[in-house]
Amino acid sequence: MSGPLHLVLDEITAGTPTLAAIARRTGLSDDVVRAAVDHLVRAGRITSTELSLGCPTGGCGGCTSAGDGCTLPAALADRRPGLVSLSLTRRVA
Amino acid sequence: MTESTRLRLTPTTATPSSAKACCDTSPQHTAGTDAPVVALVGAPNTGKSTLFNALTGSRVTMGNWPGTTVEVSRGVWRTTLATPTCDCENCICAHDEDPLAITLLDLPGAYSLDAHSPDEQLTRGLLQDGPVDERPDLCVITVDASRLAHGLYLVSQVRALATRVVVAVTMSDIAAQRKVTVDTAILSRELGCPVVATDPRRRTGVVALATAVRTTLADPVPDPRPAPITDDPLVLDDDRFTWLSDAADLATVTPGHDRLTLSDKVDRWVTAPVAGPLLFLAVMWAVFQLTTTVAAPLQDALDGFFSGPVSHAVTSLLALVHLQGTWVEGLLLNGLVAGVGMLLTFVPLMGLMFLLLALLEDSGYLARAAVVTDRLMRTMGLPGRAFLPLVVGFGCNVPAISATRILPDARQRLLTVLLVPFTSCSARLTVFVMLGTVFFGKNAGTAVFGMYVTSVALVVLIGLLLRRTLWRTMGAEPLIIDLPAYHVPTLRLTGAVVWQRLRGFLKTASGIIVATVCAVWLLQSIPTTGGQAFGQVPVEDSVYGVAARTISPVFAPAGFDQWQTASALIVGFVAKEAVISSWAQTYATEQPQPGQTGLLGDHIRAAFEQSSGGHPLPAVLAFMVFLLAYTPCVATLAAQRREVGHRWTTFGVGIQLATAWLLAVAVFQIGRLFW
Repeated sequence: MSGPLHLVLDEITAGTPTLAAIARRTGLSDDVVRAAVDHLVRAGRITSTELSLGCPTGGCGGCTSAGDGCTLPAALADRRPGLVSLSLTRRVA
Repeated sequence: MTESTRLRLTPTTATPSSAKACCDTSPQHTAGTDAPVVALVGAPNTGKSTLFNALTGSRVTMGNWPGTTVEVSRGVWRTTLATPTCDCENCICAHDEDPLAITLLDLPGAYSLDAHSPDEQLTRGLLQDGPVDERPDLCVITVDASRLAHGLYLVSQVRALATRVVVAVTMSDIAAQRKVTVDTAILSRELGCPVVATDPRRRTGVVALATAVRTTLADPVPDPRPAPITDDPLVLDDDRFTWLSDAADLATVTPGHDRLTLSDKVDRWVTAPVAGPLLFLAVMWAVFQLTTTVAAPLQDALDGFFSGPVSHAVTSLLALVHLQGTWVEGLLLNGLVAGVGMLLTFVPLMGLMFLLLALLEDSGYLARAAVVTDRLMRTMGLPGRAFLPLVVGFGCNVPAISATRILPDARQRLLTVLLVPFTSCSARLTVFVMLGTVFFGKNAGTAVFGMYVTSVALVVLIGLLLRRTLWRTMGAEPLIIDLPAYHVPTLRLTGAVVWQRLRGFLKTASGIIVATVCAVWLLQSIPTTGGQAFGQVPVEDSVYGVAARTISPVFAPAGFDQWQTASALIVGFVAKEAVISSWAQTYATEQPQPGQTGLLGDHIRAAFEQSSGGHPLPAVLAFMVFLLAYTPCVATLAAQRREVGHRWTTFGVGIQLATAWLLAVAVFQIGRLFW
């Protein structure tokens, strides 16, 4: 039987779009799913990328519009809800 | 392990002994050479250092661990087994008959023993890789109750070692706010070690922790938790996760654990494969309809302001300085006031649009829309992460081109750079709204919405075409999104975002559009035949008019081969807002035809009526489709050239022009059969 890490990796491979959906489909708790994803990111099996749909939650440093006349205060930018994308970086053996 | 052999820190700072309570009667910072050594470990932000300070008070030495630059604190923990009886506030000193001083090490924050950082390397070296006799006698592992599974991974690794473990569950108050309770008795049973709930900030659970530590120290070292024999680290990690997941599930009491939160319930619909896209379309239709309906009266008022008081004021001013009837009047009145003024009438519309989009974004809904878009992209076999620059492209294509840098694969970047110009930017919106209002009246919002749907369809179809021809082997990597929680938009943040985008629009209007207006005015002022003075020539006889008439037959199959229309498209290469300003300039110098009011809308309607042979609606739709598909602006071209080079930029322009012309012709030729 697969453990939580394999279950999460299988869901990512299958294209399950969100962490909440992974928790629903696997029956794992949100906490375990998030812990599993964080572990897989640290282990280098998946890549986590901050997506700047609006402002990146990490501030203006990684924003493509930072040098293009953006007037949004950095303090506000930090508070905006950010998206994080997670993608497989190598195939699971 | 004794303190004298194991801990010789290089001091960096020392906390002064300033406390005067009974807790700090001794100035010594060591517990003695025979004192047991306890290591305090745990992930960052789990209250580890707060607990260390609560346990040691001011009896602390800080310094680098030998051979490293990692800072470690060492202190004396005077453990007590009884409830304090003195009058000290927050007393932590030992009042029992047999107090025990322990040397407590505050190791740096570590998520695991996997040694991904110097901090984790030190923790691993001390607990696992170092000589057995130099290891601590016991580990206290702090675990955040609100993120129990995160902390238990480290516990699972330490439990696999031959060492004593006590788990200190912290942050119970934050967990309680999230309606999560951790049953320490069950967790202790599942983990096979003592578990104590403690709140170091309020100093609760300190005595219980001391009792657990002393009891465990008195016991023999427990057997390590058995682990599977395997060379695959993932299998080993998964075994730990199975163990910790079972323990966390059993020990965590969450009222309504099986019930979905409101956010989850909403997301099930908002991100559903069928309902999600339909809802997204409905929301965007509402945005466009609301924008065009509410902003229309404001736009009319501004139009009246520029064509009335502002024009009259400029005329009067020119008369005062004896410049009436000169080329200066042409430049100011027919150029800047008519062209830029017309564009500025769109400020309320753009402001309202930006406000609605900012509200959707700040509430967290646009993130859900991104999931829907992402799924669509992957269904079509396109790179999932490409949805982001494409979504950004609906605001402005220039930052969207830059945003393609998030794509790791060069071919994915190139494909997305070629697709971004097909996303309908806010500059095109001004033209769509204007034409929608003139030709579709109350249904203007629906017409504009149709253009956005067409834009999405173009992205998908062109993407599929390129994918199936040029990049057949490109893989669509799996991708998931961690959605932010829904929340009520804040006035300050929403206002700042709206202003940021409106400022960009005004910057374009006051910069590149003013320059374009001047250039158009200059071309409209230069005669092509003799006998006509500069600035006194009818537009159709000017360089501008003659050039436009030369090109306009190309658009005859699409039903908009009037030279005024063709010239607006050419000027639109500079920026799409310039389509409106050039129309305003061109028609400002023309006399109204019999039956016309002289308003810009009447001129445009008459032009399409004439060029389409009585089929203005298919013709204007064809024009809008052409405007949507052809090159957005010179700034986008420059961004493309920077990202993918000259050759691919030229290739992209070719695709855009070919697609735009073919689609426009198809729309008109098919449409005129019905309208």
